[in-house]
Amino acid sequence: MALDTTTLDAPFAALTAYDFGADSSFVKTIDDAVIAAHGDATLTADLEKRFLALLGPGTKRAAKEYVCRKLSMIGTPAAVPALAALLGDKDNSHMARFALERIPGPESVAAIRGALGKVQGDLVIGMLSSLANRRDAESVPLVAPLLAGDAKVAVAAAAALGRIATPAAAAALAAAQPAAGPVADAVVDARLAAADALLAAGDRTTARGIYEAIAAQVGDAAGTRRQRAVRIAARGGVFAALDGTVAP
Amino acid sequence: MIHRPRSTRRSFLKTTAATAGSFAAAPYVITSKALGDATTPPASDRIVMGGIGLGNQGSGDQGAFLGRPDVQYVAVADVRTKWREAAKERVDAKYGNKDCSAFIDFRELLARDDIDAVHIATPDQWHAIMTIAACRSGKDVYLQKPETLTLREGPLMVAAARRYGRVVSGGSQRVMEDYRDIVDPCWAGEIGTIKSVDLNAGPPAMLCFLPGMETPPDIDWDLWLGPAPWEPYNPGRCDGNFGTGGNSWRSYVDYSGGSLTDWGAHNFGGAIFAAGLLGLQPVKVSYHAPSEAGKTPHIALTYPNGVVVHCNRRPQEQPPADVPSVGHERGIRIVGDGVAVAPRPVPAYRGTGAIYGDFIECVKTRERPFRDIELACDTMTAPHMVAIAQRLERSLEWDRAAQRFVGDEEANRLLDRARREPWTL
Repeated sequence: MALDTTTLDAPFAALTAYDFGADSSFVKTIDDAVIAAHGDATLTADLEKRFLALLGPGTKRAAKEYVCRKLSMIGTPAAVPALAALLGDKDNSHMARFALERIPGPESVAAIRGALGKVQGDLVIGMLSSLANRRDAESVPLVAPLLAGDAKVAVAAAAALGRIATPAAAAALAAAQPAAGPVADAVVDARLAAADALLAAGDRTTARGIYEAIAAQVGDAAGTRRQRAVRIAARGGVFAALDGTVAP
Repeated sequence: MIHRPRSTRRSFLKTTAATAGSFAAAPYVITSKALGDATTPPASDRIVMGGIGLGNQGSGDQGAFLGRPDVQYVAVADVRTKWREAAKERVDAKYGNKDCSAFIDFRELLARDDIDAVHIATPDQWHAIMTIAACRSGKDVYLQKPETLTLREGPLMVAAARRYGRVVSGGSQRVMEDYRDIVDPCWAGEIGTIKSVDLNAGPPAMLCFLPGMETPPDIDWDLWLGPAPWEPYNPGRCDGNFGTGGNSWRSYVDYSGGSLTDWGAHNFGGAIFAAGLLGLQPVKVSYHAPSEAGKTPHIALTYPNGVVVHCNRRPQEQPPADVPSVGHERGIRIVGDGVAVAPRPVPAYRGTGAIYGDFIECVKTRERPFRDIELACDTMTAPHMVAIAQRLERSLEWDRAAQRFVGDEEANRLLDRARREPWTL
């Protein structure tokens, strides 16, 4: 039986005024409606429209957070502009990504990619984290230059490229020239992750080249615990690339 | 995931020799007890450990490792002053000095090159990030259960362990120790080929709507939250021990999978061990609506070998009492076909000292521990899938190779979640 959407009016009115610690008994009705919306385009569109109306400046952070959680479940490309508008807002950026990261399709990831050059500080790292989770190959030309910038951002950029793990991402990592330190470590970790992904995808030659380069870089000296772990990773990778022991 | 050759004992011994050399130049640990005695190995043969997250379970883990003569415990990290200071005091009291380092930020502990291994017992939102960081720093890891908060974290943690050649053990001691009354007859072949399992599991985590309060000075609240969404401080979010009914971090979805994954790590772990499902992941998740609104649904997980694990099936729907089966007091029941099969040796812990000794022995030998992270993460797929099917109120199919649900875009949205900046996987 179709849900009578007028039953949602009161809970959404309560959500409009919601703040941390206030009565939250209204959420059960909304939660149930979100589940009931599966396969019901009309109800999905109705709910999405109600949620999007709450992403503006008149709604408190607590309510926006709840809205983003629900949009992460049922949001469509129609939700992307309103969520994208929150990406530069330090209080709401993460939860906007929480929703956008889960909304399928090119619009949501394009919004995150588009925010990369606009947001500031740690929010840049947030965008990189989401682009990594989406394995967004199109973002490689935007992410690669960040390897040479602020160290915290460069570490996250390296990690993102390692997760994206296309040949272009691997090449960007190989071209990086960080001084010894956290960025250099992050680049090595990312190159190893990219090599593993490339090997698993069947690109044995590229993967082997990465492993051999890192094995040469870390050398034979006993070194630190970290250096020994990297040596294990690189040499193990070379062996795996040579004998093709790739799990299905 | 790629398969790498495992480190051998010989390569381990070479590494250990090199490590011992580096210790000689390090500013830590060398004491009057460094040469050992009749009951304590010399310092160069001890596993140097630190702990991250020293609250309820973490303090228990610390006690287990601290009591071992083959462990030299040197550092603790916790965002809460009371836990951190108490943990340091336990170490200092044990060794009769003030040498234990205490950090707020776990990254400072991981930066110490003299530490061989860490144990981690933080809330679950931290498990993947900390485990992967520890592997990258060349440390072995004993990780409390539930090992994962999302389905996507498992393969990334396993990949890090394998890539860097680390020993990473999950932390459910009960899998081996509490369910032997069902494990042994199953592995002895007494009930024949396993057909089905029934077990009861608790509820999943819930959203937290607690009000904000002034953050006390004894907690770094932002670091406690870490990758979880920002919420105002409330002791009901971060206190508590093992409760999952509210006012405890294990109750809330941002930090835990609730009782379903917390106890699920134990009872799914025990059932999967007994039923011979180690290393497998479900291929089908069948949702059976509850008979009445508000009751717990029955979720059936079908494994690739045909065994079906029923979670919260009503007693009247379970096989009758006279079928070949073994049961456990916590509600696990395993049903076989009754045609006896050849017995197989039950895997055992290595070393001495239960699961902690198993981990330490494997740190020494570079073998995989009983609760190897890959087996632990495979186990955790079961309660995570139950939670997703329960939330969506429908059946699902799982493609292990792709690590995705088949044809269910909403379910795939629940594979993972965005982490709060600046934390990334």
